[in-house]
Amino acid sequence: MDQQGQNGLLSTYREGWRNRSWLGIAISASLIIFYCFLYWEGNFKGVIGSEPLKGLSESLGLRNKWYLYGFLYTVAITGGAIYYLKRHGNSRYNRLRISVNVVIQLALGFSLPFIMPLFGGKEMYFSYFWPLKYDYLYPNTLADLPLYFALYTIVGSLIAAPLLAVFFGKRWYCSWICGCGGLANTFGDPWRHLTSKSTKSWKFEQFSIHIVLFVAVATTFLIGLDSVIGDEHPTFHYVVSGGSWSVKAFYGFVVGAVLAGVVGTGLYPLLGPRAWCRNFCPMAAILGWVQKVGRYRIRVKPDMCISCGNCSSYCEMGIDVRSYAQSNESFTRASCVGCGMCAHMCPRGVLKLENAWDTADDKDRQKLSVVNF
Amino acid sequence: MRIVIIGNGVAGMEAALTVRKRQPDWPITVISEESDHFFSRTALMWVFSGQMSHKDIEPLERDAYDRLKLTRVRARATRVDVEAKEVRLAGGLRPVPYDRLLIACGSRPRPGPWPGSDMAGVGHFVTLQDLAWYEREVHGGAGHGGEPPNPDAHLRATTEDSPYRFREVAAVRRGRPAQRPAVIGGGLIGIEAIEVAVAAGLRPHFFIREEWFWPIALEPREATWIADRMREHGVEVHLEHDVQSIDGGTDGAVTSVTTNHGTHDADCVVISIGVVPNTEWLAGSDIEVDPRGGIPVDERLATSASDVFSAGDCASVRWFDQSLRPEQLWYTSRDQGRVAGLGLLGDTARYTRGIWYNSAKLMDIEYTTVGLVNWNVEREQNWYYEETGDVRSTTRIVVQGDRVVGFNLLGRRWDHTVLIRWLEERRPLSWVLEHLNEARFDTEFVPRLQVPLGATALEGPAPNPVIPGPTTVPF
Repeated sequence: MDQQGQNGLLSTYREGWRNRSWLGIAISASLIIFYCFLYWEGNFKGVIGSEPLKGLSESLGLRNKWYLYGFLYTVAITGGAIYYLKRHGNSRYNRLRISVNVVIQLALGFSLPFIMPLFGGKEMYFSYFWPLKYDYLYPNTLADLPLYFALYTIVGSLIAAPLLAVFFGKRWYCSWICGCGGLANTFGDPWRHLTSKSTKSWKFEQFSIHIVLFVAVATTFLIGLDSVIGDEHPTFHYVVSGGSWSVKAFYGFVVGAVLAGVVGTGLYPLLGPRAWCRNFCPMAAILGWVQKVGRYRIRVKPDMCISCGNCSSYCEMGIDVRSYAQSNESFTRASCVGCGMCAHMCPRGVLKLENAWDTADDKDRQKLSVVNF
Repeated sequence: MRIVIIGNGVAGMEAALTVRKRQPDWPITVISEESDHFFSRTALMWVFSGQMSHKDIEPLERDAYDRLKLTRVRARATRVDVEAKEVRLAGGLRPVPYDRLLIACGSRPRPGPWPGSDMAGVGHFVTLQDLAWYEREVHGGAGHGGEPPNPDAHLRATTEDSPYRFREVAAVRRGRPAQRPAVIGGGLIGIEAIEVAVAAGLRPHFFIREEWFWPIALEPREATWIADRMREHGVEVHLEHDVQSIDGGTDGAVTSVTTNHGTHDADCVVISIGVVPNTEWLAGSDIEVDPRGGIPVDERLATSASDVFSAGDCASVRWFDQSLRPEQLWYTSRDQGRVAGLGLLGDTARYTRGIWYNSAKLMDIEYTTVGLVNWNVEREQNWYYEETGDVRSTTRIVVQGDRVVGFNLLGRRWDHTVLIRWLEERRPLSWVLEHLNEARFDTEFVPRLQVPLGATALEGPAPNPVIPGPTTVPF
């Protein structure tokens, strides 16, 4: 039967692997080791004598280890989705959203990039945009792509993604389409309560995410400039994209591998599943700005909140939803990815995600409580 | 101005915050026997199941008392001396002097009237200490959410009759956790105690004295839906069972519950037959207490003693139907705390409560009620519709004469503020049915309620054994 709220009680804090017990730490360590091999096993070859992931991919007949990673990623999303829907599938919003995550991953995240080269095409991930997929606006990437794909990337990154966020909030991307978000909301869901709700973590997030955004824009700009003047200025070219210590390589290493992979995913069992999205993702930073001025918001039904804390506890972005709910304040936070879990967990139906501009009526509603400060 | 607040529940804390906001330097002392931190009492069930930790159910960050310069005293108040203007404490602690005092000490569970109600393995589910007891009976201890800070700090300064004493755990005596809990009393705390036992994988007994579950709020068809849901989850729902005794074995731990229908095995019993104002400690304090135990207050929430206010579950306030009794709800306590805070500041704020509304969640079925429902007014009629299919819900609209006076809604989410407005606008049933979906607060993608406009047959008053009501509509 369809219901909107949580069905049955969760036993989250009675399961050690979800609460930073030794088992949780072991899961985290395994993920980190996996990512280190995925990114840098070539560098370890001298020490361990082989490249296990490359070897495994070849023995499975895959073109390279990234297809193996894509396959494992898809398995993790599908398995996590089954786990998630078993617990939260009684809500239509959850069912639809998670199903779309799985379909997008199967089609755009795995099958299409696998099939396209078989027909002589270039592999392309249609579900990722700049600046998350940071090299999709690099001039030589665009030059390599067929014209339509290049246009898709440019229009998608610079126009379509922000425009959709005006009308639907960043959730259309972050919790419905994006592969990182898809993994966080399925495979990462068991740890969603671990995201820190402290004021300090909120301050850190506002600082760090904008630093990464700045670095992402600057890197893209420098690489663009390099394609114009790099030939005449070999030193500039060397610093920006030439060597293995160039700006381009540095961004790929720090942001692409360490922050998105090792920290973002490897630390799921310790930091919660959205550490990357919340603190570092440059695309989330842009869509967050747009969301603040757009239609999306979480509406609070006045004077019904019992301050139980289910909404805040299960917010994967570390938003203290309760603080808004108990002060009758409908709100939009830049970081909110619209997963809908606060509304789903609320035992009094106080919260509702919606795409609507504020009306005068909404402002009146907030005055209904007996005393307002 | 020295402010003293007895109780750091929602009423007490809202008052403290209200005072602090305007007076950064007034000394504020918060006396609490139960806990170091303000927590949401309504959320105890989720700590039990492991859905949340103790920290999760605290609405303020733990440094809030220091940040707001609130002095905490962890002790049981034993008397208010209104002449000397001081609060006496148990445990030989020095009395706390006040210039203005707020009593916001809340409720305590109503004790079981049956023989055996004090036995090991018998308890309640209202206080933090009750939670600790019930967790030990069923789970053998706390989960990874741990214990609250200083769980037993109050034991140094308490009295034998305190509701915050730890109860004896039968599971320890027996050497194994409870297998067959029983819950006595079919109300909201009762169903919470049932739900958490179900979540722990047990099949609890649920003894309900009335003909159906929660007759104060539901009518038979609504209650049957909830009871069916409980039975699906393995709960043994026993209706019309009047408990006669709680029985123990030779080790002094509970073994069974005897009702008018026989004896039922039980190795842990939760008594949830309501709460009463936690005010017996005020005896001899020269502050008026009414026969129900509530502290009568005026609309400023001032008590009979000067400079003493009361708010929350322990205060008898004026209801919209003009009766004077405690309003034992989270959000009314919060609002009263804010008004009392203004009183402590010397303002003359008034507490007024509009039309009644409430919400709850019974198993996974959400419940919203607004206005007069089950008031048993002679001329009261019901429009009832059961939605079946993917979304299941029941809609009951209470009508008197040509106007709608109440809503009782199960299964879907509703915006009570819209429904209240319609009651105030004296809307007729036909208008309400036409506009009903405008009050929907369902999550996205939930289809609209298809209201059968043609079938508007009204039924007579719902039979109700519990509440006799007034004969006129009070709003």
